[in-house]
Order: sequence, then structure tokens, then C-alpha cells
Amino acid sequence: MSPRTIDAVSLSIMWDRLIGITDEIISALVRSSFSTIVRESGDLSVVVLDADGNSVAQGSYSVPSFTGTAAPTLRHMLAKFPAESLEPGDVIATNDAWMGTGHLFDINVMRPVFRGARIVGYTMSITHLPDIGGLGFGAAASEIFHEGLRLPVCKLVRAGRLDEPMFDVIRSNVRVPEQVFGDLMANVTCNEVGGRQLLDFMDEYGLDDLAPLSEAIRGQSERAIRDRIAALPDGIYEGAIDIEGIDDPLRLVCRAEIAGEEIGLDFAGTSPPVNRGINVPFCYTRAMARYAVKCLTVPGMPNNEGAVAPIRVTAPEDSILNAQPPYPTGGRHVTGHMVVPLVFRTLAEAAPEMVQADCGNMNIVTFQGTRADGQPMSTIYFSTGGFGALQGFDGADTIPGPSNMRAVPVEMWESLTGITIVHKRLLPDTSGHGEARGGLGQEIEFRNDTGFPFTAFCIAPRSEFPARGLFGGGDGSRRTILIDDRPVHPKGAHAVAPGQRFTMRDSGGGGFGDPENRPRGKVLADLDEGLITPPVAREVYGVTPG
Amino acid sequence: MTYRLGVDIGGTFTDFALFDEGGSRIAVHKRLTTPDDPSAAVLGGATALLERENVAMAAVESIAHGTTLVTNSIIERRGARAGMLVTAGFRDILDMGFEQRYDLFDLRLRWPDPLVPRRLRREVRERIAHDGRVTEPLDRDGVHEAVHGLVNEDGIDALAICFLHAYANPIHEEAAGEVVREAFPDLYVSRSAGVFGNMREYERWTTATMNAYAQPMFDRYVERLERGLAESGFAGQLHIMTSSGASIVPETARRFPVRALESGPAAGALMSAHHGRSLALPDLLSFDMGGTTAKGALIRRFAPLKQYDLEVGRVHEFKRGSGLPAKLPVIDMIEIGSGGGSLARVDERGLIRVGPRSAGADPGPACYGKGGTGATLTDANVVLGYLDPGFFLGGEMRLDPIAAREAIERHVAGPAGLEPIRAAWGVHEIANEDVARAFRIHASERGFDYRDSSMVAFGGSGPVHALAIARKLRIPRVVFPIGAGVMSALGLLVSPLGFEVSRSRRAFVADLDAAQFEAIIAPLVDEATGFLRRAGVAEPAVVCRLDMRYQGQGYEIEVTVPGDGTRGGYAAAFSRLETLFRAQYAEIFAETFLDEPLEIVSWKVEAAGSEAPLAYHGMRGGERGRAKRSRALWFGDAFVDCEVIDRYGLAVGTTVEGPAVVEERESTCVLAPGDRATVDERLNLVAELANRGGDA
Repeated sequence: MSPRTIDAVSLSIMWDRLIGITDEIISALVRSSFSTIVRESGDLSVVVLDADGNSVAQGSYSVPSFTGTAAPTLRHMLAKFPAESLEPGDVIATNDAWMGTGHLFDINVMRPVFRGARIVGYTMSITHLPDIGGLGFGAAASEIFHEGLRLPVCKLVRAGRLDEPMFDVIRSNVRVPEQVFGDLMANVTCNEVGGRQLLDFMDEYGLDDLAPLSEAIRGQSERAIRDRIAALPDGIYEGAIDIEGIDDPLRLVCRAEIAGEEIGLDFAGTSPPVNRGINVPFCYTRAMARYAVKCLTVPGMPNNEGAVAPIRVTAPEDSILNAQPPYPTGGRHVTGHMVVPLVFRTLAEAAPEMVQADCGNMNIVTFQGTRADGQPMSTIYFSTGGFGALQGFDGADTIPGPSNMRAVPVEMWESLTGITIVHKRLLPDTSGHGEARGGLGQEIEFRNDTGFPFTAFCIAPRSEFPARGLFGGGDGSRRTILIDDRPVHPKGAHAVAPGQRFTMRDSGGGGFGDPENRPRGKVLADLDEGLITPPVAREVYGVTPG
Repeated sequence: MTYRLGVDIGGTFTDFALFDEGGSRIAVHKRLTTPDDPSAAVLGGATALLERENVAMAAVESIAHGTTLVTNSIIERRGARAGMLVTAGFRDILDMGFEQRYDLFDLRLRWPDPLVPRRLRREVRERIAHDGRVTEPLDRDGVHEAVHGLVNEDGIDALAICFLHAYANPIHEEAAGEVVREAFPDLYVSRSAGVFGNMREYERWTTATMNAYAQPMFDRYVERLERGLAESGFAGQLHIMTSSGASIVPETARRFPVRALESGPAAGALMSAHHGRSLALPDLLSFDMGGTTAKGALIRRFAPLKQYDLEVGRVHEFKRGSGLPAKLPVIDMIEIGSGGGSLARVDERGLIRVGPRSAGADPGPACYGKGGTGATLTDANVVLGYLDPGFFLGGEMRLDPIAAREAIERHVAGPAGLEPIRAAWGVHEIANEDVARAFRIHASERGFDYRDSSMVAFGGSGPVHALAIARKLRIPRVVFPIGAGVMSALGLLVSPLGFEVSRSRRAFVADLDAAQFEAIIAPLVDEATGFLRRAGVAEPAVVCRLDMRYQGQGYEIEVTVPGDGTRGGYAAAFSRLETLFRAQYAEIFAETFLDEPLEIVSWKVEAAGSEAPLAYHGMRGGERGRAKRSRALWFGDAFVDCEVIDRYGLAVGTTVEGPAVVEERESTCVLAPGDRATVDERLNLVAELANRGGDA
């Protein structure tokens, strides 16, 4: 079978089948893993690669940070353990922040798929581990060495036998050894399941190797994205955004060049790295940049090597978007997530009907203290702002982007922590106004009813620089944090005494287009539902009811 | 002589199945649904069927009723003007939802509007803590004032009372309900903990608003139906089917209409399980394909798998997460956007896609000749020779094969650069693959090994596709029950009376003793059996299940607690909880155990009456002879001449060798070369598959 003899019928069926296999591997992974982070936040991915190391299929639900990372990770693995040296039953892993997905929490686990003595492909799973030692989740470190165990590319399993000393090293370096071991084993097992399924699939369709199918899949994907890029006007586009660092603001700069069917994104001019864990290894910058371009061109296209091939991403080594060891990277998402709105803003003139105004982003807050029953408590609250507006399309209220963690229900939170949520409500008027408005932010007020002090660790984005609008749309509100109604620093650790109230006001999303062009009916509907107030309707939109 | 009647209201048709207990006989009937007054079709159809079969209404012992009325009123937004009383500070929970996107690349995602708009939600001061303690008393004056405003100024017809942690202590919801009842005795009131008492406010409150939204309509409907039936001489019991597979009496259904969501599909799965029991096939895939969607369910050890999440009215291409969530006991169904009316197209990758957009019934597929021009799955099946243009719906409707071919050429073959026949084959195979994929993932998520199981196929389009899908899944056997078009009506006949109650209450096993354990379960047993006793079931069977997990693990495992069904009958099992949990854990996950404390998260008690089997036997089948004619069917590489067989002419014991088509009024079974089917004594066509791998 050559790529040309695979017609639309065969390709549709076999392509979907391969994606189906990745989804089945994911369900095996989710069912057998221990940590809640894998299940609740979906912070994982599974990829099938061909014998040449091209990614062919990826699980249908894959968070942006895993866009196109598997093939480079595999290349690092094969550089250390060349394909010809691998044996059936070998499993290779690494959590290296520069070879994998940007921080030590993500473990990349790969297994070659043998058909007889020949490697016909690879499967790889990536999950966020519940712990990796060091200072724990956050941006507190000043070197990567503070952030925990860094596993070089290593063989976790040799010809079917676990490398026990390696597992001992891992177990003795993490806070929750059973959970970490359980998650690692879930990764090992799911890749075994995946390999079996891949072989079954090849038998069923009489494929000797995956290459022709892989070439057809990647070829069709690449053709589709090239066509979409070609439809964008050629040119050089420039954009820059200011974001909050830990101490001083940072500037992220992007220069995009659309030339025919290809697009290049370069981040020269971006601020240098900092001595806190918000630096971004290039693999993560590239994943977020590719994600943004995919949203603008072929959002429905399944991920594979072809779908990202015409996107060239570069960033100078002295920048925070291409930080080198030993800069710490534990909170690389804090900075890295901003690559997406930066790319949208840069390409706004090129693709106005596709780009999105800034999102209000998410505040990931860690609460540490003691429950009323005296047990230690450490848990994370995901607090989201409004989604950015698109052309003719309002941003949804309290919806995150580009990250996507689900909120903890109030009833669940209170029973887990003993911290009361006094209220959780939408904040009217907080969205960026516009022809399409951004999503509203919210206010969540906690009261410390545990009887013990607790500490809230936050790196609240959008506290200084709001979610900006596009094409005349307004900015969303800024994020603030208060203790007993007094504002406190939005980035830092705050002690909250028993009885005190800790309040988070989440930012609204940016608006799109001139508010004067917003249809009167939509303004009245927002007014009627209490999402905007009469003064805003009058002064911003020029609408008075009646 | 006694009879049982099953009536299923669907979007297009209302189906009837009459079972004669003495004569082991089943008669079926179908008529168009009457959306303005659905009871008209029910009463008219029942009367017509009984007259035809020469049975008096007074001889009907029970009527089992399933309906899409509740689902449709939510999807089409034709329910009540409903208001909401909610704990102060939490009015916006319904707008915020899960605060998560269901698709990461599509930035133009849509969510359904809440059933109660923001301006009809009023906040009330009150607070109950997660352990049930009252931390702020209910502001009764506030309740009074809020409900007066909602009724007198906003004109609501129904009210949902939704307070935080009401599952742990419903006292404030109950007290607020009383205040409302005193002021407005005729207002429909739903309480969140009364509807289904689970933790997680967004889902529980959404479920309560669904109940409120559907209640006035459903209450009037059931009342009218009961009156109409009584006037026509019906003196038996009316049972309403719920989404869990159990039925409830009208009084309960009128209080909890939300329980009747998706009861039609649930009845289909129930009927599959019933066939499994009579054929001694414990593990099954129940596969139903109709005009717009396909539905699947897994049956393990003769019982459909259940769960407690249901999504209603998905607004974005059938995507999971784009509907309103209900928290209820339901049969665990998958819905796939592939049906006879699903539109085929070529996407940006140059690949063929089928669905989820559908041409519906009107204008319908191109071959219907009603103005539809899109290429649908039914059009592809006509081009392939699977459907006979002259024998659609038993010959009632003529299909236009030329229009079918033109639509396939224009929308699929041309854009994809394929021969028309290859394009039609592609549409057919891709629909099969979509269904197979959905089953694979669903089974894999539930640890269900389908390769040793069989499939039961029904619905208008199910039998056309079933064997090809089974081949993809490597399932050895497919059962085609007689009456593929009225399976849900038949399934209603076997649904037992039953009711399940649940309470979320987190407790560490180590913190409890047997007496405390019993004290939590006993009132649930009382509540569940109370519903059954009032429905006339003196000694219901009781099952107690717990959702348990390791502390901190985000995933609960359902453990069945052995007991004798009495309120005190579960204490003895307390000491064995850990063993029971581990056994269940090992079955679902790998055998790795954590050294963490065990926690009980929710407590569920289900009471049920006995099943009502359809013990029909002594059937002989038809005697008219089998072959009608022959026609050519495409099986991937060539047209093959096939025998066309009239199903009603097949005698018990007859064997049919593929390639062949077996036609019945509402559907067509397609047997590929090498497949072989036998008519069993219940007139099921049981097909064994030829061994053939994938073929693309």
C-alpha cells in the first residue's frame, strides 16, 4: 500500500481508528491511575508515532501544552537509546523539562511497538504526576534543582522487567510515593495496551508497516493547514503584550511572517528569564504557539506531525520563552499561557474572523492549613475569569482559556476543607465591552471556619495588566485579592486567620469590536439579566431601556 | 384472559405493544405522535389496537408508558415559566456551570441557557454546613417576599428550591416549601434534595430546575391520560417508565417528572437485557439506530449498566459537555450522531464525515423525494442495494434511487474523487466505524470486554448496520428481535416497578461502627420501600449500594452491600466493607492497592418489584414461504446477488445463509457472505458472523 492508493474511504476509516486507539489508551490510563489531577483536570495525552518518529495520532482531548511535543521528546529518547538497541518490552521515560513538556511534573513514557523483531511504531503517554519532590507545585524555586527529581531519559522497564532501583529512587524522592508509583505503572500498562491494539489494527487491515498510512495522514493534514495559511494575507505582523512577572512586569514580543503556505513565529525582544519558576522551556513555548495557530486555521483537525509542520517557531535563548537550565520552570504555564493571546493579537489583522480577545485567565490558588478535625489540609482551587470575545461572538462568563481546569463545586470544597464559601457570584460590568462582549469575571469569598490559620499561595494573573480587547473592544476588569475587604498583593503567600475573609475578584474577558455597534437587543438582554448595569448600558453602549 | 400494554411516545411515532399473558401473543401498532395533546395518540392508538385484536380495555391489567415528552420539553424549551429560590450568594451557579470548556480548539463553543433565567432566581438567607449543621437560620420572611414577587410580578408556574448542602440536611428546603405552599397552594414546587439528593450543587440544582420546568406540563398530561383511559374502560394500573429502567406509579411521576427523561431508549436497553436472559447471553451490546442518532448500552450479567449522569439537549454537535447535566439513576447510554438521516460530507481534510447534522424526517434524505438534497446514510444504503426503494416501511413509502445516487455523487463522490458506489460504501462504512468506535471507548472506560459478548440490534436502521459493526468489534453473534421498530414499547412491558433514593454523605469507614452505618441506611430503606408499598408492592426487593473510594482519590467505586432488604439488614455487612471494596476495585482497575483510608461518599438504596417476563413460546412463525425476490447488494468490492426474504414468512428453525436481506416492516437485516442466521422459537433472527477482518 502506498499513500496514493489509500483513498478517502480507507483513510477516513483507518485514521479515525488510530485516533480511537489513542482514546482507548487514555481510558486505560485514566482508569488505572491514582492521582486526581489526571482525572479531574485531564492533564494528560497519548500519542501514536510511526517507526520514523512522526506523530500520527493523538488522543482527541489533549490540553494545549501537549500540541506537537511527542515527536521531539521521542527524538531525545532515541538519541540516548537508538531504535536498533531497543528490545521488546522496553519502556523509556523522562520528565526533563526541556525534552518533555516544560516542567518536572510531566512524565513522558514511551514504549516501542515490535512486530516480530522490527519496530513498527511507538506509543507515548504523558501525565502530570501528583508530586515530584522539591518545593512542590508553584513558582517559588530559584533554580530547577529546587523543583524536584529530574529523571534523564531512562529505561523504566527493560525487556519486560521493572528497573527496581530506579523506582526506589523515585519513591524516596516524592511526598506521595504510592500515588506516584501507581501513576507511573498506569503509564507503563497503558502503553502495553496501546501496543497490542496497534498490532491488532495492523493485522486487521493487512498493514506491514505504518509508514504509508502515516504519510497519507500527515500529508492530508499538512495540505489542509497549508491551504488555510495560504488564505491568510502574506505579510509581517508584529505584536507585544505586557504581563505581570513575579516582581517586575515582563514583555512578550512576537513577530509573525506569513509567506504563502507557511507561517513563522519569532519571539525575539521578549524579556529575559527570571529567578522564579515562571520561565518557559522552548518546547512549551512552541506547543502553545502551535496551539494558537491551529485554533486560527484548522481547529477541527486532529493533532499530528502534519498539522503543525508549516508552523515554524523560534525564540532567542536569552528570553523567558526559551529559558535554559538551571532556570526554574515549575510554573511555566503562568508565562507560557500568555503566548496564546500574544499570537492572537499579533495575527489579528491577518485573521480577524478567527482571533479571540484576551481571556481573564485562571488563578490557581493553593490553600494549606489544618482542617477543623485537626488533619493537615493542602488543596488547589481553580478560579477562572471570563472568556475573551470573538468577532460577533460573546465570550462565555467564567470560562478559562487557554488552560482548562474544572472548578471544584462549593459543596465539595467545603466538605474537603472546612473553609466556607460565603458567596460565589458573577461580577456585573467586569467584561470588556464591545460589539461582542467578553465573559464576566466572578467574586468568590472564603471565610476561614477551620479554627486554624491557613495560607493561600497565589500567582494571580491579570492583576496589573487586564485582558485586553481587540478591534476597539474594551479591556476586562483586573483581578484583585482581598483579606477582610483590604486589597493584598495578588502574587504571594497570604496568612488568613480564623474568622477572616479571603476574597478573590476574577478578571473579565476582553471585548471585540466597537461597543457602539453592539445590537440594542443584546444590550437590553444583558441589562435585563443584570449582567451590565444601567449606567454602562447608557454610557458605553448608548442604550436606555424603553 | 389478561393483557399488558406498552406505549412509547417518541418524537415522530407513538408505538404500542400488546402482550397476551394467556395466549403468549404479541401485537404491535404504530401511529403518528400528536404533539399538541400527546394523550390523543396514546388513547386513539390503544383503542385501535385493542379493537383490531378484539380485546376489551377492561381486560388490560396494566399499561406501561414511556415518553420523550419531558426530554423534548427541555430541548425545545416548551416547559413552564419556572422560578428558583437559592441560598444567598449562589444565584449564579446555574450560569457558571462547570467552568470548563468541552473542546479545546474550537473557540466558539456554546452552552445551553439555564432553564430558569437569572432574573427569576431569588436569593434567600439561610445556611447549612456540609455536615448538616444549621449555621444560619432560614429567613422565612425572605422566602415569603421572594415567592410573592416571583408569582405576582413575574408570573411563574413552578418553583425550584435549591439550597446548599440540602442533601446533608433538607430541613431548610422543606421549611421554605411549607412557606410557599401556605401562600400559593397550587404552585408546583421541586426541592433539590427531594428530587435526587446528591452532592455537587450545579448538577443537583440543574436537575431540580428540570423537574420544575417539566412538572406543570407533565402533571396535566398524566392527569388527562389517566382520565381518558378511565373513560375508555381501563381499570388496571398505569406505570410510567423512568430513565433507570424501573417504572413508577403516576402519583410519583407527577412529583418527579425528571425521572422520566430518556425513558424510551432505556426501555430499548431493558428489552435487550430481557432477550439476553431468554437466550442465556449474559453480556450484550444493545444497539439502536434510528433516524437521527444511534444509541448504545452495555449489558453485564443480564443487567444494563447504570450510572448517575445524564446530559440533556446537547447544543453543539452532540458533544459531551454541551448539554444540561442531570444527576439521576439512569441506564448508561451512549448517543452517537449517526442515524439514517445523518448527512454525509467531505471535510477540510478531504475525508468523508457522516453526521452529526441530520436531514431529520422532514425534508429527510434525498431519496424521500420531499425536497431534501443532502446525501444521507439512508441514501447510501439505497445506492448499495441494502434498502429496497419499493419496500420502505413495508411499501408505504417509495424511495427515489436516482435522487439518492445524485446526492451521493454531488456531496461525496465528486468532492472526494471517488466512484459513486465507492463513495456510498464509504458513507456506510464510516457510519459503522463511528458506532464501533463509540462502543469501544464506552466499553473501555467501563472495563467491559465486549469480545465475548453478543449484540442485540434494533431501530429502523440498526439491523442494516449491525453485522458490519459487530464484525469491526469482533463480536461473534447478533440477535435481531422481531419488532425492531417497536423495541421500546416491548421493553416497557418488562420494566419492573422500582425507585431509587440517594444521599451524599462523606464518612470514613474507620470513623463508623455497625450501628451508625445502619442508622444511615435505614431511613433510605424506608424511603425507597415506601414508594413501592404505596404502589402496591408488598415486599419489594431492596439493593443497597455505596460509592466508595480511597481518601483523596477522585474516582468512586460502587460497592453493593449484602443484606436482607430490611432496614436493619445491612449492619452485618459493615465489617466486610473493605474486602468488598477491594474485590470491586480489582475488577475495575489493576490489582494495585493503596494504603489509604476508605471513605464512603454516597449511599443509595433501590427498591424494586419483580420483573414481568414475556414468557411467550409455542410460536411457529410464518408459513408463507420465504423468498420474495432477489436483488444485488454491494459488499465492498462487487455487487452480489442476494436472496430477499420476507421475515414474516420465516418459520421457527429456518436458517438463512448470507449474502441475504431479511425484510420486515420497519427494518432490514443485511447478512454478508458467510453470515448465517437462524430463526429461534421467539422469532428472533440470531446471526453468527463469518470470520472476516477489517476491510477498508
